[in-house]
Amino acid sequence: MKCEIIYLDHAAATPMDARVLTAMQPYFIDNFYNPSSPYLPAVSVKRDYENAKHVIAQQIGGKIGEIIITAGATESINLAFSGVSGHVITSNVEHDSVLACAKHHENTVVAADNHGLVTVDVIKSAIKPDTQLVSIALANNELGTIQPIRDIAEVIKTERNNRLQLGDKTPIYLHCDASQGACQLDINVARLGFDMLTLNAGKIYGPKQVGLLWAASHVHLQPQIVGGGQENGIRSGTENVAGTIGFARALELVGEHRKYESKRLAKLRDILQTTLSDAFEYAIVSGHKKHRLAGHLHISFPGLDGERLIFLLEKRGVLVATGSACAANKGTRSHVLTAIGLGPEAADGSIRISLGHLSTPENTETAGKIMIEEIKNEYKRVGQ
Amino acid sequence: MVVDKKIKVYVGMSGGVDSSLAAALLVEQGYEVTGVYMKNWTADLPGMKCPWADDLADAKRVAVQLGIDFKVFDFENEYKHKVVDYMIAEYKNGHTPNPDIMCNQEVKFKLFLDAALEDGADMIATGHYARVEHSDGDSPITSSSLLHAGLNQGPGALLNLDSRVSDEITSKSPLQTGVLKQAVDKNKDQTYFLYRVTGEAMSKTLFPVGELTKPQVRKMADERGLTTAVKKDSQGICFIGQIGIRDFLSLYVDAKPGEIIDKKSGKVLGRHDGAIFYTFGQRHGMDLGGGMPYYVVGKDMDKNEVYVTTDLNDDTLWKKTISLTDLHWINQAPVDGKYEIRVRHRAPLVWAVVSSGDNNTLKLSLNNPERAIAPGQSVVIYDGDTCLGGGIII
Repeated sequence: MKCEIIYLDHAAATPMDARVLTAMQPYFIDNFYNPSSPYLPAVSVKRDYENAKHVIAQQIGGKIGEIIITAGATESINLAFSGVSGHVITSNVEHDSVLACAKHHENTVVAADNHGLVTVDVIKSAIKPDTQLVSIALANNELGTIQPIRDIAEVIKTERNNRLQLGDKTPIYLHCDASQGACQLDINVARLGFDMLTLNAGKIYGPKQVGLLWAASHVHLQPQIVGGGQENGIRSGTENVAGTIGFARALELVGEHRKYESKRLAKLRDILQTTLSDAFEYAIVSGHKKHRLAGHLHISFPGLDGERLIFLLEKRGVLVATGSACAANKGTRSHVLTAIGLGPEAADGSIRISLGHLSTPENTETAGKIMIEEIKNEYKRVGQ
Repeated sequence: MVVDKKIKVYVGMSGGVDSSLAAALLVEQGYEVTGVYMKNWTADLPGMKCPWADDLADAKRVAVQLGIDFKVFDFENEYKHKVVDYMIAEYKNGHTPNPDIMCNQEVKFKLFLDAALEDGADMIATGHYARVEHSDGDSPITSSSLLHAGLNQGPGALLNLDSRVSDEITSKSPLQTGVLKQAVDKNKDQTYFLYRVTGEAMSKTLFPVGELTKPQVRKMADERGLTTAVKKDSQGICFIGQIGIRDFLSLYVDAKPGEIIDKKSGKVLGRHDGAIFYTFGQRHGMDLGGGMPYYVVGKDMDKNEVYVTTDLNDDTLWKKTISLTDLHWINQAPVDGKYEIRVRHRAPLVWAVVSSGDNNTLKLSLNNPERAIAPGQSVVIYDGDTCLGGGIII
């Protein structure tokens, strides 16, 4: 018997919106031409590609020449770090890709508070005269905690101005990975004051392995992939036309529904959170109470094994995550949970629920019931 | 028949189909089963995804499916010390060791067994293709009768072994013991890798898939909806992962290029990238010109020289007599006589006359010469279906 799947892991991957697929489809068979070819059908494809980038630029409030399309967010992050040689600052709740890039530089990893929040003060005190980059995610992928990125941007701006006044030409940039949260939060680069922004189409109902780095014109990037000089010479390789067109369409669509969807998901999430917290009085909800992504619910059941819970729920058709998928694969405790001081008992019994387009009041309620049953059974099994 | 207290079996679950079905069968047979993933050492290659996490997840998923407890035993340090370091040291000595044999001897049927018993298990089980006969005096008892008998009345008496087997052990205090036998699936039989286990360990071991063939195992796993039913078999040495033995050894051994020498003429034919990478009898991988394939017939580790020949009939390539050292017997040592032997995993059994030599060595005389008898590798000796033990080729 195959049961209906209730997908509660939108933070890991999102199903492509049918309208995105429709937008991409002509570029696989009919309009397959290489945008660099000289004949008219190819020129037309090139135009469509440029238009898509134009749409993307509009959606993030940047300029078309500042956008480099990459194969996903990890490449984008690697590229962002390529532009700097000096000291970098990041936090202990950042994604592995940011932490791995930081390791190639002299770095300071600041500590988030126990809600996973990176405060302005810790960033301020970590800045050194040769600090060139601060990289903080818009929202934490495991906890959903939304960072005070606009305030952090102010700190960077002040530091930059101070350096200018002293005649110090050492640049300082703010890079923000907005892979998580782009569906629910403002990602306007001008309003938020980033110097670099990473986005991932695969997390906004677009195609996987498509992402971008937006870098303000004053940022000097080092190409990581060289060749034919595409993407202003920063990222060579034949353009991913279909992917970029899908990316643009996906951004448009999340832009249209951002406010409504945030409210809708927050409501569903709050009901689910209350249901689970009421059923299990020792359950621990992590992440910031107020500044948290609408669809995110990180909850720990001390004494249980989160991975076991996943397999039990999977048998019932309910798909959830243990923290970030990458951390689970390494079989080690999530560095984010360690960072926020969650004890091993609770950390090991954690699951991450992330709601999204596939979530309805009905299936969220059903999922809640199934979770209560399975979690109760597990507590019974381990004798608690 | 009502069993007062269920026998507790800890089954080593690797995330593969064999141990998954083993666990499922034990549950069906009425044991109280706990799944255990043994976390062994793996080469930590910077920037690479951890190779064992998927296996652990597969094992845990099956345990959840079966509704059994699941634990992880961390043997990383011991495994590195007992298996990996041994393997590297043996290669450095110019030998070609077998880490699987060492893993069974030191980890699965020693560390795991001890840890499981310590944790409250009565017995352990693995997904090996082998059979074990637990003896209760005269009559061998099957695992199902053992289940009903309960352990207290279980194995305890000494085995009434084949009269040809010497009785040196009988003077010792009564040991619980078990007899290791070949699997029903002769194509998959893994007793070659198990010859260094002890009879005492066997007395506390079950091999639930030893009576089945591999196709049966896959079919039965599929029938039970086990998610590992279609998973590919693992290949090669587990802790090395995808990188291959040559790249792995290069991380630990400072291999230096040296000369490849024609054994007959003494002529230098070419260069190799490290004598440790070559195994006796191996067809030489390098193009030495001339079209004829070369075979490794010797190495001098001190001079870092590899000797080869094109002559397939070279007398060092074929051996009619083999001397074994570092002998190990699961129960009793065989008395001198004719036995079947196996010179490598899955090699056909061949007859040999076995006689004890000096200094605890064993001499094997074969009817027909065997090719590529490599020092450091193991020869396993059988009496019918029973795996007696064996030794290391000198």
